[in-house]
Amino acid sequence: MPEASASGTSSPRALTRALLEPFGASALDDRASVLDAARCIPRTLADLAVPRPGGASFHLTDHHVREALGPPDGVTPRTPFAWSALTARRALGLAGLRALLTGAVRSPVDGVISAVDDAVRAAHRGENTASPMDRWLAGLPPAGRGAVQAGAVTWATRLWCALDWSAFEEPPTIGRDHWWDSPHSSLLALRSRAEVRSVARDPAGSPLSVHLVVVGGPRRTTIRSELSAAAMVEVLCSPRSLPPGRMVGWWPDSGHLVTLEIDQRALNDGVAAVARTLAHTGVTPIDCEGVMRAAA
Amino acid sequence: MCGPQVLVTRRVTALVHTSPMVLVAPGQEQGALWSPAPPTPDDRALSASGAQPAAVRLDTGRPAAARDEVLALLRDGSGQRPRFDPGLAGGLRAWLEDAAAELVARRGEDAPPLFLGPRLLWDGSVAAADPGETPTGRYPTEWVRSCLIRALFAQVVTTGQVEDPLGDALDALRVDPGRSAMARHVDELPEEARSALAASLHVHIENLMNLTPRFAAGWLPRTHDRVAIPLAGGRVVLNGVFDLLVGAPVPGRATLCALGLTTGGRWAQARTALHYLALLETLRSGTPPFRLALLHSAAGRYGVEDVLEEHLRTIVSHVVVRLSTLGAGDA
Repeated sequence: MPEASASGTSSPRALTRALLEPFGASALDDRASVLDAARCIPRTLADLAVPRPGGASFHLTDHHVREALGPPDGVTPRTPFAWSALTARRALGLAGLRALLTGAVRSPVDGVISAVDDAVRAAHRGENTASPMDRWLAGLPPAGRGAVQAGAVTWATRLWCALDWSAFEEPPTIGRDHWWDSPHSSLLALRSRAEVRSVARDPAGSPLSVHLVVVGGPRRTTIRSELSAAAMVEVLCSPRSLPPGRMVGWWPDSGHLVTLEIDQRALNDGVAAVARTLAHTGVTPIDCEGVMRAAA
Repeated sequence: MCGPQVLVTRRVTALVHTSPMVLVAPGQEQGALWSPAPPTPDDRALSASGAQPAAVRLDTGRPAAARDEVLALLRDGSGQRPRFDPGLAGGLRAWLEDAAAELVARRGEDAPPLFLGPRLLWDGSVAAADPGETPTGRYPTEWVRSCLIRALFAQVVTTGQVEDPLGDALDALRVDPGRSAMARHVDELPEEARSALAASLHVHIENLMNLTPRFAAGWLPRTHDRVAIPLAGGRVVLNGVFDLLVGAPVPGRATLCALGLTTGGRWAQARTALHYLALLETLRSGTPPFRLALLHSAAGRYGVEDVLEEHLRTIVSHVVVRLSTLGAGDA
């Protein structure tokens, strides 16, 4: 069973409440202790990231944490990255939701269609901003593109239906991942992924960031470690963004959610998860390309 | 649909473990809106041979009539969506959890998770969701046809048109990492077999084009919506895939419509599978779908019905019985 601060089954109201509910009185103390602890973490992580033969870098994501900490039989065999309906749906779905929240379109379907059209147009014009995914989409036959569009629409609609969007104090940020580059080592970078970022307040009225992470696959024991590692990255990035307060992991397939309040314990767990992942990657070559592209 | 509610209480697990299961049915029970009769074996034989049953031959002069009727039946009474008791999903889950706990006790705590799809309900053996590739690397023809038609169905819903049924379906499979090997398998079929498959798909897609409503974007149509409900701490997982869901979930109110597709199997089994999915949605969101539609792509027939508490209770009891027959050897 996943170990976390709280878990349950979500309805739109329940998931929104879990994400946005005000912080308790302990958040004030937690905030100070977390920021204190965060000062030591960059040095600790740099020491852990001992360069490997060949000078390969460590670009760690939640996927690597899951892979490193999960049971050996729970991980699908690694295959070279390739664009597919599966790997493209998040990027297209997020683009569709952004368009929806800005009022540019009126439904997830329209948002995804707009995202696909933009991608194909950029690729056909040879624009510098065209991504590898854009070029891949542009090269697909119409039916293949339709299948990709269908997958992205489903992904986006599930997320759209999962939250009460009117409850947000201000429009949330959709799908901006944060990368933290180690100041001590150019070989180490860590990613925090979140599909929805918003703000909740502590008792003093100060804002803390809250993060909704869409989780795939079965419920698993590593989920706390995955969220903790992402929380740690948010803390390390917080000098240039809001201090983080909460991570909520949500499984669209089952409706389950897991909430992690970001306190010192979560931070320690995050460091431990990264340490174990780095140790694991010492024996297993790490493939960054695929997960980084799919998450872009 | 919002008349006086009938409360049925049934003890499914010890009160120390959970509150009593409360099942609530809409006061006004609307019968199934099955339009044409379910297909007969003769119909299935005809459809398997690629011919279209004369009894349900489409009126080519009014090709949109069937899909318009399906849409009208889905919309009928949509302003009066039934409310379901919030305890319904919890009670059903408790019932299933009891059965799953007993199954885990028989299989052992360390046994790998058991994933059970709708085929659990009628197969003698445990059939995982995807029979897919057999050890010999060959694909059963019916399975291939089913996957191709489902890919085309998603295309019909998404784009509203199909140019070349076999070519389009294969293009869709090629961008799905779980199906690209199947596309290669079809590519390598002898010309005669490919032609037969293409002819068969043509019949199916013609029927689907006539049966499938063109949902406006505001209906939030989404295809291939996977549901996976873990029981016993994830050691047993009930899973399935909605071919199409429309509508937005509203807490405590049945607002979703689910459309299922059967490509030639037994009508009753397909309907049972759709009820199974309705149960999984109830467990996922706390509220069952409002209405179900089943489209028979081989025969061009369809049925529409409301989801009733009795459907859910029947399916749960069926699943519980099936779980009780599984044991250590099932994986």
